[in-house]
Amino acid sequence: MWLLPLFGLIIGAIIGSTIQYQIPTIYIKYMSIAVLASFDSVFGGIRAVIEEKFDGTVLLTGFFTNAMLAALLAYLGDRLGVDLYYAAVFAFGVRLFQNLANIRHNLLLKFRNYRQHKNMD
Amino acid sequence: MKKSRWQVPLTLVFIFMGILISLQFQAQSRIASDLTMQRTENLIAMVRGLSDKRQKLAVEIVDLNQQLRSQMESYRDETKLKTNLKAELDKLNILTGNTPLEGSGLTITISQNMPVLYIDLIHITNELWAAGAEAISINEYRITNNTSIFFGEEELSNVITVNNHRLSFPIIIRALGDSNNLEKGLTMPGGIMDRLALFNAYPFLEQAESLTIPASQDVHYNYFLKEYKPPENEPAINTADPHIPDNPASLRI
Repeated sequence: MWLLPLFGLIIGAIIGSTIQYQIPTIYIKYMSIAVLASFDSVFGGIRAVIEEKFDGTVLLTGFFTNAMLAALLAYLGDRLGVDLYYAAVFAFGVRLFQNLANIRHNLLLKFRNYRQHKNMD
Repeated sequence: MKKSRWQVPLTLVFIFMGILISLQFQAQSRIASDLTMQRTENLIAMVRGLSDKRQKLAVEIVDLNQQLRSQMESYRDETKLKTNLKAELDKLNILTGNTPLEGSGLTITISQNMPVLYIDLIHITNELWAAGAEAISINEYRITNNTSIFFGEEELSNVITVNNHRLSFPIIIRALGDSNNLEKGLTMPGGIMDRLALFNAYPFLEQAESLTIPASQDVHYNYFLKEYKPPENEPAINTADPHIPDNPASLRI
């Protein structure tokens, strides 16, 4: 059941490596923050799936708006002389690790429950 | 179908994430390989390495130029050698009778009614060589260093042969050289013409401005000829000879 998203990731990577478009050098910084935001959204989505409260629209909108807003905020920060870039890195980084910790936690709980049920059977 | 509800959006998101990641990866590796992003030490090392390489290449250019020049020289030498060898070969061909020749000289015509033996032809050719002839032919046969003049027996009479080819009358001897000298060599008092006159043979001499002498037709092979080279440092070989014993006592046995 996780094969389809994994497949999607591989297809996306292949598409990204085959297209000839190159990001202009000055936008690479904002692109990296967008990538970080998308990481956060994806892990949030995975966590929601495991916690069984997944909402597709929330994930999709969150993915795009988070990425765009992060990039825009970093850009705006550069314009205004405030390093919002680091704020975004910090915020998304913390959330990313929280999500990962939650995923691990839930998986562990599920695994233990599964074994208990099996033992009881 | 509860599961496919989360799988489809998640797959979509994953696809976009894959695109973003690979794009970012490419961009980042492009930046990392950019010269402006390199560390100063690396840049210095690169510059040093490249200038080293450049020097080596310059040395190589000089080397190759020298090589080219020497090759050109050797080529020139080779062509010179080749033309020299060609000239030598032409000369040798002329001397050994491999090419037809042309020049001024003397023709001696001996008709059928004259009593002439093969020995007379030998005398005539000897006399012609002695008088400075440079090339001689009898009828269509060139006289070379291995030409033989002899006689063969047929049913009624003897015939003269040159290289075992039967001569037919009239015998025409052509000699290249100074025509006056050649004629004088034959007609001097007590010479070959006088001797032939004793037998009522009067060969007809004629000086010619332009004679052609054919090339020799007989192929001659040499199987046993080898140039003799005198052995070098012979005494050294004698002293090093192990068969000569040092002890004189053993010599006596």
